[in-house]
Amino acid sequence: MLGKLSWSAIPFDQPIPLVASLVVVVVLLAILGWVVLKGYAPYLWREWITSVDHKRVGVMYCGLALVMLIRGFIDALMMRAQQALAFHSQGYLPPEHYDQIFSAHGTIMIFFVAMTFMIGLMNFVVPLQLGVRDVAFPTFNSVSLWLTASAVLLVNVSLFVGEFAQTGWLVYPPLSELKFSPGVGVDYYLWAIQISGVGTLLTGINFVTTILKVRAPGMTLTRMPIFCWTALASSLLIVAAFPILTATLGMLLLDRYLGFHFFTVEAGGNPMMYINLIWAWGHPEVYILILPAFGVFSEVISTFSGKPLFGYRSMVVATMAICVLSFMVWLHHFFTMGAGADVNGFFGIMTMIIAVPTGVKIFNWLFTLWGGRIRFHAPLMWALAFMATFTIGGMTGVLLAVPPADFVLHNSLFLVAHFHNVVIGGVLFGAFAGYVYWFPKAFGFKLHEGWGKAAFWFWVIGFYVAFMPLYVLGLLGMTRRMQHYDDASWRPWLIVAVAGAVLIACGIACQIIQLVVSIRRRADLRDLSGDPWDGRTLEWITSSPPPAYNFAVLPNVEGEEAYWSIKQKSLEQRRLTDLPDYKAIELPRNSPTGVVVAFFAVVSGFALIWHIGWMVGVGLVGAFAVFVVFAWRDHSEYELTADAVAKIDHERREARVALVEGREPGIAAVTYSGPPGHDPHKLGSRADPDGGFKGPASKRIITAYGFWLFLLSDFVMFSGFYAAYAVLSHATAGGPAPAQLFNLRTVGIETAFLLLSSLACGMATIAGNVRNMFWTQLSYLITGVLGAGFLFLEVSEFAKMLGEGAGPDRSAFLSAFFALVGLHGAHVTIGLLWLGTMMAQLWAKGFRPDIARRGLCFALFWHALDIIWVGIFTNVYLLETSP
Amino acid sequence: MTMHSDMDSNVDTAPGDQEPGTHNVAEAVRNYLIGFALAAALTVGSFWVASGTGLIYAPGVPMALAAFAIAQMGVHLLFFLHITTGPDNLNNVLALAFGALIVGIVIGGSLWIMHHLNVNMMAPANMMDMHMQP
Repeated sequence: MLGKLSWSAIPFDQPIPLVASLVVVVVLLAILGWVVLKGYAPYLWREWITSVDHKRVGVMYCGLALVMLIRGFIDALMMRAQQALAFHSQGYLPPEHYDQIFSAHGTIMIFFVAMTFMIGLMNFVVPLQLGVRDVAFPTFNSVSLWLTASAVLLVNVSLFVGEFAQTGWLVYPPLSELKFSPGVGVDYYLWAIQISGVGTLLTGINFVTTILKVRAPGMTLTRMPIFCWTALASSLLIVAAFPILTATLGMLLLDRYLGFHFFTVEAGGNPMMYINLIWAWGHPEVYILILPAFGVFSEVISTFSGKPLFGYRSMVVATMAICVLSFMVWLHHFFTMGAGADVNGFFGIMTMIIAVPTGVKIFNWLFTLWGGRIRFHAPLMWALAFMATFTIGGMTGVLLAVPPADFVLHNSLFLVAHFHNVVIGGVLFGAFAGYVYWFPKAFGFKLHEGWGKAAFWFWVIGFYVAFMPLYVLGLLGMTRRMQHYDDASWRPWLIVAVAGAVLIACGIACQIIQLVVSIRRRADLRDLSGDPWDGRTLEWITSSPPPAYNFAVLPNVEGEEAYWSIKQKSLEQRRLTDLPDYKAIELPRNSPTGVVVAFFAVVSGFALIWHIGWMVGVGLVGAFAVFVVFAWRDHSEYELTADAVAKIDHERREARVALVEGREPGIAAVTYSGPPGHDPHKLGSRADPDGGFKGPASKRIITAYGFWLFLLSDFVMFSGFYAAYAVLSHATAGGPAPAQLFNLRTVGIETAFLLLSSLACGMATIAGNVRNMFWTQLSYLITGVLGAGFLFLEVSEFAKMLGEGAGPDRSAFLSAFFALVGLHGAHVTIGLLWLGTMMAQLWAKGFRPDIARRGLCFALFWHALDIIWVGIFTNVYLLETSP
Repeated sequence: MTMHSDMDSNVDTAPGDQEPGTHNVAEAVRNYLIGFALAAALTVGSFWVASGTGLIYAPGVPMALAAFAIAQMGVHLLFFLHITTGPDNLNNVLALAFGALIVGIVIGGSLWIMHHLNVNMMAPANMMDMHMQP
């Protein structure tokens, strides 16, 4: 009934996790009780939990990240304390607990602090900077958020129910295989990351589509603020890299749950393939984190220097170069695995090359500061600390990129110091800079400056005190993840490091105090202008906090630094732009889809971790039902009348008048006449005034383009499985080889079914375009029947192989075969389910535009499955059986 | 999503849509039929090559199969998914190119790396046994 779950899962014998989790439970219950008693629950449900407003979603992402920062930091403190104590002793943490802590620390800090924070900032800022009202897919945005939250929940539940992985944050096999990690810890990790991975992928698709297809009129690509460019690069990396992670972890799941042999050390499995694939995701991942931070620093440095960013174009080129190069360096994470000199040499050189565009950026920031009117507010201070710290971290990284040096330094605390140097000094400082910078935009008041600066100094000094000793320790030969040690020369450095961690703790305390103080004194810190930092990009043109629709009228962008030019014109003329002609605005309705899907995701995830079969079914059916209900809804939007918009915008204009006529106290008037050498006609604005870009694309284009990106990510996921097949296809472990197994006649018939099905789907598309219900439905029916026929043949083929003892547990080759071909079959199955609901919907509602859009997506999906099948029949069946 | 009118203002086509304005059923059907015929022919070609015909030099068979496969993928993209080289499809093609680049890197890179690992790190069977101790 409850699978592996029993009372022994609760750590009654381990006081630390037990007390910690009880405290968390009590605090959560107290907060819940307070919310309910005060009557805030309906408000929270209506305005936040079901909100699809990108600003609210962004704020919730950042809040989640800040809470997880505290959780991850407590893990860090515990590790530092353990290592300070565990000289010639066992310290206070037993090995199995210590191992869980370092695994949880890495997992939480990367996935739920760094990523979550960056995605939060992207959510809040990108649509505002692009001058539009929301992201391309607002409801999916909410789904992304809540799936991330589900993963957070699962990881934290592992503290109380069961255990977490003891394998490090990337769960390397063979240690993470069932044989060596029989507990549920690795399963918690795997399912949590798979669930959050889906959410992250949706975010990536959403933001690429938003940035490429949904921009204000005149906002050509080369007029976008750099933060939007970095968000684009980061989202592209998400779309391209996360499917690799999903594929890799999926293979490990198959190993653990169904006895496959991808990464086991028997039956031909190859653990090194896991390490290869996971880093093919893992290296782009670090650029997914750092690129938006680069964007934040670009905005902050330009704003607080009172100058346009130096070298805008080189910044764009550098960003996009990093985006592509980041896929060509992954082997530097396993130089020592033995690929040999030529492979190591190639990846070492590629790693050094990727440092070049990063260097370009550093110089661009320096030259932006040079000659600027610098205002030392907290965001700029974070940016300056970043430039120094990140440069050091980058240089130790280039050192590690030298393969011979890596053989000495790999797996040591030098490496640990390096990646904390870049992740804290880069990503986290960027997150904090963005937090302080955009906080007044989100809430209408600034954060307290004094506490912010105190937090800054504690963090920066604490960082150096905590991590510079780790470089020394690495050179002294201390390896990472040691639960105890007996080398006396290490101890003093470890004690210094723990002191640094305490300083960082003071920094976090200052940040908490800053937030509390700022909220209590929000009246003094209020910003009425909407432009507290004298900003340059479009988010500062609207009020703080912005109205749900962001802009009463979409701004018309006439050059780079869209807001700055409008502002300067207003200041010169001492008047605002003319009163616009307000029109009614349609806004997306709030939707509980995200939170309900997430609920079912938690149910399925938990059930899978504990092997509770019926509960898995409940979760999956529930999640599918939610999507059907979502697709079925009739009203996805509500309308705000022109009068209401005019009334709200009137208040904003009042505040603006104050800004134009006499500037707010605290901000010195800037007499600014364009930087030397900055010719507005040079960049982007050479063409006609609106740059030829006429604003957001049609819904049909947006939907199909987003789905197209999803299909490309699907291809990448298949490429992970295909790579595994290609590598493992000869690892038959004495079992049957391809030529003995495959029957080309069956494959030929399967192919015929699939091709005919595709043709029928094409006929349905044509009939749908001319709104002919009978032929559309009939063609869809034929599509489905042929698809089902394909599936039937494939299942019979699988059953026959299983019956002959040639199942996936026989050899690595068969594992890879069943996974690759089975994944395609799973896609066909999902396609049939989708087709069924769509036909029913078409029957009930006719050719509504949203159903027509979904039909287009289905056609893309169904035809894309053919392309994947061509790859499969060629490489799996034909190539292996040809003479 | 609301602010986007369904009227299209930029020169762009949704992936999967045929040239805007082509609602001529006969022409569209013919287009699909041509695509289907080409795809079927290429599939038959692949199976025929793989079945061991003497017409193709045996070591060249994998190359021939690759050529058939790539050609057929192109046919599917063009006739079924309507991804063309027209200016209205630029964004769609760029996204596809990025995807194809990543697919190539993942498969090619993995094969290259794993081949070198296999060559350099071929462990004797008894050494692997040590890992198998519980």
